[in-house]
Amino acid sequence: MKRPGLISVLCVLGYISIVISFPQVFSPQVKKLGVFMPALSGLLVAANFMAYVGIWYMKRWGAELFLSSYFLKTILDLLLAQMGLMFYSGQIFSIFFIIVLLRHYRRFDLNL
Amino acid sequence: MLWLLFKESILFAWQSLVSNKLRSTLSLLGITIGIFAIILVFTIVDSLEGNIRGSLQSLGNNVVYIQKWPWSFGADYPWWKYINRPTPQYFELDEIAKRSKSTEALAYRLGGRRTLKYKSNAIENAVVAGVSYDFYKIKSFDLSAGRYFTRNETEAGYHVAIIGTEIAKGLFPNEDPIGKEIKIAGQKAVVIGVIKKEGESMLGVSFDYQVNIPFNFARYILDPRSMNADPVIYAKAKPQVSNAEMIDELTGILRSIRKLKPLAEPNFALNEISLLSQGFDALFSVIGIAGWIIGGFSILVGGFGIANIMFVSVRERINIIGIQKSLGARNSFILFQFLCESSLLSLIGGGFGLILTYFITLLAKSAMEMEIVLSGANIILGLSISVLIGIISGFVPAYTASQLDPVEAIRSN
Repeated sequence: MKRPGLISVLCVLGYISIVISFPQVFSPQVKKLGVFMPALSGLLVAANFMAYVGIWYMKRWGAELFLSSYFLKTILDLLLAQMGLMFYSGQIFSIFFIIVLLRHYRRFDLNL
Repeated sequence: MLWLLFKESILFAWQSLVSNKLRSTLSLLGITIGIFAIILVFTIVDSLEGNIRGSLQSLGNNVVYIQKWPWSFGADYPWWKYINRPTPQYFELDEIAKRSKSTEALAYRLGGRRTLKYKSNAIENAVVAGVSYDFYKIKSFDLSAGRYFTRNETEAGYHVAIIGTEIAKGLFPNEDPIGKEIKIAGQKAVVIGVIKKEGESMLGVSFDYQVNIPFNFARYILDPRSMNADPVIYAKAKPQVSNAEMIDELTGILRSIRKLKPLAEPNFALNEISLLSQGFDALFSVIGIAGWIIGGFSILVGGFGIANIMFVSVRERINIIGIQKSLGARNSFILFQFLCESSLLSLIGGGFGLILTYFITLLAKSAMEMEIVLSGANIILGLSISVLIGIISGFVPAYTASQLDPVEAIRSN
């Protein structure tokens, strides 16, 4: 399945955001929130990364994993009241990405 | 079923790691160093923070320090504004005691370093503190032998002294110090008490190395007007009174004692422990962030190393993957197998990093007598980062392996 150019660009931006957000997983701020908080937020980053890989290969599970990890991450951020500039820019990027994914949803492959 | 899949994947992963020992060791080194760096910094920061907070707690949260210099952190300390301020005087303590309604206890202290002597034993530069009678109400300490000063002794300036454990050990290695006469900067004093061992303090206020004498005796040894004596009046708030309320009252009293005009700048500082806490918070935050950045990038580099080695591993086992798939292995099994391998590799690397950190903490404990503890929270953090980096760095190679066509995979060299 040929990948649309816009999805390629967004995936590359997503990979870059993973590299940036990875060290934040175990930042002193997250560590202060609780013992298992870095592990939990790390799991979400890993899920997000897998989702980008899945979307890159035009797999439907990638799009679904992206949606799930986005909602979980948003709930977590709202619960922890982590609403800074990173939160809003992440929201704008994710919502735009979700719209693009939904537009091309039928083109995604159902297999693993 | 899932357990069997997991067991088989772990077994495959283990065989692969064991058959390529050198390669596995080199690739997990990155993770080992990364985890070691980040967890060591977090461990040191946590331990230092714990020690300092403990020391601050012992100083008392409801105590205000009336001093010449305000406590402040940072480079732009305007010392020229404070240099000409007068030092707190003993008569001010009496005045505050008469007028204050919010304080439970007030004490005066001045200190300096002097030589102590007993027969042929001598301790140079020992901390000598002249204190008022209520000092024990401000700073809690226990006596291992003897007694505290009486009010009469402090007010009349009797030549008596209460010494710390280390001072007692230094001056009286084989004798009971109680009742013995020592010399403090040439002045005779009888030892009436020994303070119970307190241990090292991060803030350098341990009583173990101090000699406490009545203030009116200390006048002969230390100059209360000297800046070096660092005179301080301690004010402890009553149980229902907040520090802010007490500070308000003390400000008014001190302005009145020092006859300051309504618009004049105060010529005294009212310092609180919370000021120190805030300073240390900022300091530890900077250290934590520095360690996090250094460790974070080490781990990231380690992750790239693992991803690289996993791509090599997939390439080497391409025939086996083909055979497995032709025998009915699902894509998810191949994916899981390689993910397990990368996670296991990373977990072993992280485990070594944690072991290394543990040995460093033991070394620090024995070499510096410093309490550095590798906490459970940091162990969980280290292990979860390891698994996480293993999953992230191994996912792309594992997914590539799972997508291989069995026929092409078997035929490839």
